[in-house]
Amino acid sequence: MFYVALKIILYDKLRSFFTLLGVVFAVSLIFAQVGILLGLMETSSVVIDNTPGDIWVTSKNSRNFDFAHPFPEYLLYHALGVDGVQWAEKVIIGWGVMKQVNGGQAQVEVMGFNPSTGVGGPWDMKEGSIGDVKNGNFMIVDESATKRIGDFKIGDYRDVMFRRIRIVGISRGVRSFTTAPILFTSYHLAQELIDYVGRDKTVFLIVKAKEGHATSKVVEALRHRLKGVDVFSREDFSTKTRLYWIFETGVGVSFLLTILVSFFIGMLIVGQTIYNSTMEHIKEFGTLKALGAGNGDIYSIILFQAAINAFAGYLVSLVFTMLTVKLYEAGGMVMVMKWEVNMAVLLVTMIMCLSSAVFSIRRIKNIDPAMLFRG
Amino acid sequence: MPLPVVVKSLSKTYREGKLEVSAVAGVDLELYAGEIVGLFGPSGSGKTTLLSMLGCMLKPSGGEFSLFGNDVIAREEAALSALRKQYISFIFQAFNLFPALTAFENVMLVLKLKKVAPSLASKKARELLEVVGLKGRVDFLPRDLSGGQKQRVAIARALAADAPLILADEPTGNLDHENGRTVMEILKTLASEQGRCVVVATHDNRIDDLFDRLIHMEDGRIVSERRWDQ
Repeated sequence: MFYVALKIILYDKLRSFFTLLGVVFAVSLIFAQVGILLGLMETSSVVIDNTPGDIWVTSKNSRNFDFAHPFPEYLLYHALGVDGVQWAEKVIIGWGVMKQVNGGQAQVEVMGFNPSTGVGGPWDMKEGSIGDVKNGNFMIVDESATKRIGDFKIGDYRDVMFRRIRIVGISRGVRSFTTAPILFTSYHLAQELIDYVGRDKTVFLIVKAKEGHATSKVVEALRHRLKGVDVFSREDFSTKTRLYWIFETGVGVSFLLTILVSFFIGMLIVGQTIYNSTMEHIKEFGTLKALGAGNGDIYSIILFQAAINAFAGYLVSLVFTMLTVKLYEAGGMVMVMKWEVNMAVLLVTMIMCLSSAVFSIRRIKNIDPAMLFRG
Repeated sequence: MPLPVVVKSLSKTYREGKLEVSAVAGVDLELYAGEIVGLFGPSGSGKTTLLSMLGCMLKPSGGEFSLFGNDVIAREEAALSALRKQYISFIFQAFNLFPALTAFENVMLVLKLKKVAPSLASKKARELLEVVGLKGRVDFLPRDLSGGQKQRVAIARALAADAPLILADEPTGNLDHENGRTVMEILKTLASEQGRCVVVATHDNRIDDLFDRLIHMEDGRIVSERRWDQ
């Protein structure tokens, strides 16, 4: 029956072309929306996911990475005293402004970390090293910041919070969900730059559990010992941050709506084409029924038509999306394409096309055999 | 061996609004293996309805119907489908060939549905197309065949079903006289040489001589029945 379905599709080339175009349109849109949504999710937690350490301590009721509040630094020593803690580090994230070369200001996120350990610092350096931010007004800027602050190179100076700071390194892969560039400085410089943090406060503690100690147990112990703060495993804090940006801001809902609309558009296009094709062949299908074919035999022709449309449309969309990933990146967006996502989109495409065949199947089920005798 | 068809007081009534219309009213008929029977009558006489019921495609409203010894009346759709698959084949005025499939593929399709092994099916499909005189046209699409050739493909397809009862509705209706006669001669050969029972509903009086038996219907009833040689 696959062969019959394929022949029917190949016979009416123009209609098949437009059906393919419709599926490609819908599936490419789904690919783009899912890819960008996942890209945004990854971006929102990229620092958490790439920072060593198993546990994040944040101010009470912090909802995400970008808007955490300061809490007393001395809790670091309380944390170090908890059984199962191998090490703990203070990290600051705060909002500031950078003066643009051509005037105006750009909002930036300043991340202060201990350059001696590198915990909380950039994880992939394009130029320079993380130790270069020690002992002075130095910062590392991510290469993606050019869109916001213009071209820069090592040795350039920029005014951050009215202080002249020298760029000593360029990192890779550090983007924030807010699109504000993340600047890495020493912990102490960040404390001075972000005045609302204060000299005796930090924004995060990052804790590493000792080998042989379950992270969940250490999290529990820290929760018990540290008052006035929240304690999360790295995975939980990453998920919390992702969910905040995607669902609490409505970004995710709008993406999901677009995916849903694309799904229904695709379903409509394929459904209409297959229904028209079924109606055109209704007498042939009826004849097969008269000659003893079961409904299942005929359904399989229709379902194969839907599956062929789905698979061909999916393949073209996949290639098209792979070719356009660089375009998205050039536009400053992160587009995620993973095999799990590709498989999920294939499944969605199959469901979209196969479910669209349901009207044709209903029509076949209700064929009036007497129609065949009407010339 | 039971007779292909035995019907007694077969009837079919439709409701049209408040009216009850009788399409077939009390038909008695016996059909025999090896004969070709012509079902004549004006439009609305009930011959197509009778043919639909004989083909187990339309449920009778009343009467008795035995198909090769099987009681048809009491059966549900799934069981009727199984009876059709085993005993009946159809040829329609409009050919109803898949336009995307070649003559060979159209015939093969029925053999595939019958789960015939591919190599055997391929051989049989070619043989059947040869029987109907289309040896040189096996790979032609229906659009590249004449009306007569299309009907011959439809006959080959009907033969592929390998059914002992062939029901044909106006098989010459879309054909010129010469092609119509050729098609009817093929059907007559199927009856006389292969022992199949062939029933043809037609308006075409020019082919009377090719039938073993002529049945004339009017107003849902058989009004006359005679053998060609009588």
